[in-house]
Amino acid sequence: MKNGISILLSRIATPTRVGPRDFIVVAVLAAVAFAVPYFAGTYQQEVGFRILQLGALAAAWNIAAGYTGLVSLGSAAFFGIGVYTMAIASNAGLPIALCVLLAAVMAGLFALIVSPALFRLRGLYFTVGTLALAEAMRIFVVNSPWFGGQAGIFLTARAPKAYDLYWIALLIAVFVVVCVLLLLRSRWSYRMQAVRDDEDVASQLGVRTYRTKLWAFGLSGALIAIVGSIQALNQGIVQPNGGFGMSWTIDIVSVAIIGGMGTKVGPWVGAVFIVLLGEFLIQFPEIHLAVVGVVLVLVIRFMPNGIWGTLTLALQKNRNFS
Amino acid sequence: MNSIDPVGLANTVLGGALLGGLIALSAVGLSLVLGVMKLVNLMHGQIVVLGAYVAFYLAAFWGISPLLALPIVFVLGFAFTAPVQRFILAPVAKHGEEAGLLTTFALAIILENLFIRFFSGDSRSLDTAFSRETLAIGPINLPTIYLIGFAISLTVCLAVWMLVTRTSFGRSLRASSEDPISAAIVGIHVSRVRWGTFALNGGLASMGGVLIALCFSFTPSSGSEYLLTAFAIIVLGGLGNIMGTFVGGIALGVIQSLGAYFMGDGYRTFVGLVMLIILLAIAPNGILKRRRSL
Repeated sequence: MKNGISILLSRIATPTRVGPRDFIVVAVLAAVAFAVPYFAGTYQQEVGFRILQLGALAAAWNIAAGYTGLVSLGSAAFFGIGVYTMAIASNAGLPIALCVLLAAVMAGLFALIVSPALFRLRGLYFTVGTLALAEAMRIFVVNSPWFGGQAGIFLTARAPKAYDLYWIALLIAVFVVVCVLLLLRSRWSYRMQAVRDDEDVASQLGVRTYRTKLWAFGLSGALIAIVGSIQALNQGIVQPNGGFGMSWTIDIVSVAIIGGMGTKVGPWVGAVFIVLLGEFLIQFPEIHLAVVGVVLVLVIRFMPNGIWGTLTLALQKNRNFS
Repeated sequence: MNSIDPVGLANTVLGGALLGGLIALSAVGLSLVLGVMKLVNLMHGQIVVLGAYVAFYLAAFWGISPLLALPIVFVLGFAFTAPVQRFILAPVAKHGEEAGLLTTFALAIILENLFIRFFSGDSRSLDTAFSRETLAIGPINLPTIYLIGFAISLTVCLAVWMLVTRTSFGRSLRASSEDPISAAIVGIHVSRVRWGTFALNGGLASMGGVLIALCFSFTPSSGSEYLLTAFAIIVLGGLGNIMGTFVGGIALGVIQSLGAYFMGDGYRTFVGLVMLIILLAIAPNGILKRRRSL
């Protein structure tokens, strides 16, 4: 199934060469980010947490949507699984690190369970299927007797300090980046991009499309769930409309598209943009989301490669002509 | 609920069937748009909500009964969505179908938050003189409003079916949906047909919103639920098949009501969503291969 965004993107995304330079850049940036709590206040740490959180979510979503063409609007389902796994497992007395791992495993299992149904859908139908799936999960958690209903579940674990949360988020962000970079160095990324550009041709060339999609979807979902599990620690209480809420999907999709789908750096650029926009419009929460929507419409129309994709293309052109 | 009470069950099934037929009106346009524009219109639910709000404010300010307001709501829905297609969706069509999908997603976000901003997040409902009346058929009691809504929905669906199968606009519409390039070659103004289809969908969806709001309360955030319900209906009824959509609505209404009857009212939507996913999974060819009989 060909589609325009992917066709446009394949020009930039296909020759992603990931070399030692990328890892050095990540290490330097991470070191700088690590030092932030030593000279910045709580407010800056919270903004930093939000940027790292959204960036990691969008980068994880990008693995499925940007590189594999699985544009999912069901991210809230994976996020919610992370949130609830953390709440239930940590209340059962498991150590936090194990809870995070468990969140990833649960999300991976969920991807495995729903994949037979979802992967029969291509393109737009896949997107609608994931949207329905996330809503179904939310309604199920609201109504089922096991998850505390609308009232949710309180975490008994002590709430971490702002700088602890920031560092945990940084650790996870670095983990997501390293995952993405390693993935792009591997053969998987070629199979994924082949599936994205034309699933039938990829299949005829011997790519096991189902397995490729499952790995991409599962990895993407597991990483989203890891970020979700940290959000549970941040909030101290988990509720269906907070954990499985559409707002997470909206945030993830807008960050990834505004930054640039199918690019390494795009999600992080998008996260900085969206979070700073949010801080700027903090007095008007509904107007904020409406403005995000308007930006999204404009970006899709005039910069379909997102901020980072457009910049990269422009630089490449300059290099070719000069 | 240990023993099944036959009268209660019959009531549930009949009520569900009427309700489903009523809700089908909000789904008819979605199927046309999907067929003609190859666009999954994610702002569909918000158009439905918009229709409900228009009727709500017409009733609040001018005391216009929601049923009499239906034609006004149709015209306003039409007028609102026509420029959306012309100035926002048509230009991104060249970036591929995903671009259109994500644009409607962004528009849904915009509309929903504007609703919250201007209409407040409160839950609203529409009232008519007979909202609380029921009609007794033997031991079975059915809300009168379900019957009226069902009749209106059936009438409008028949009218749309006539429009699509018996008029020259309908012929252009079917041709554009079958093969846009050939349609353009034989002189059909395809972009105008798309524009008309999208606006027609806007009018129909907002009327559907009025009918739904007569039966259930709504909030600015009801849109995604309406979208997914409409999607389940058109998948059940067969894409592009107008009377099929109506039958699909009835089927979904019965399934949802049975789900609510046996599992509790909170599961009404859940049952529909699970059925949608299962249907998409077991019959993907049924909906991916478009039906020839529009």
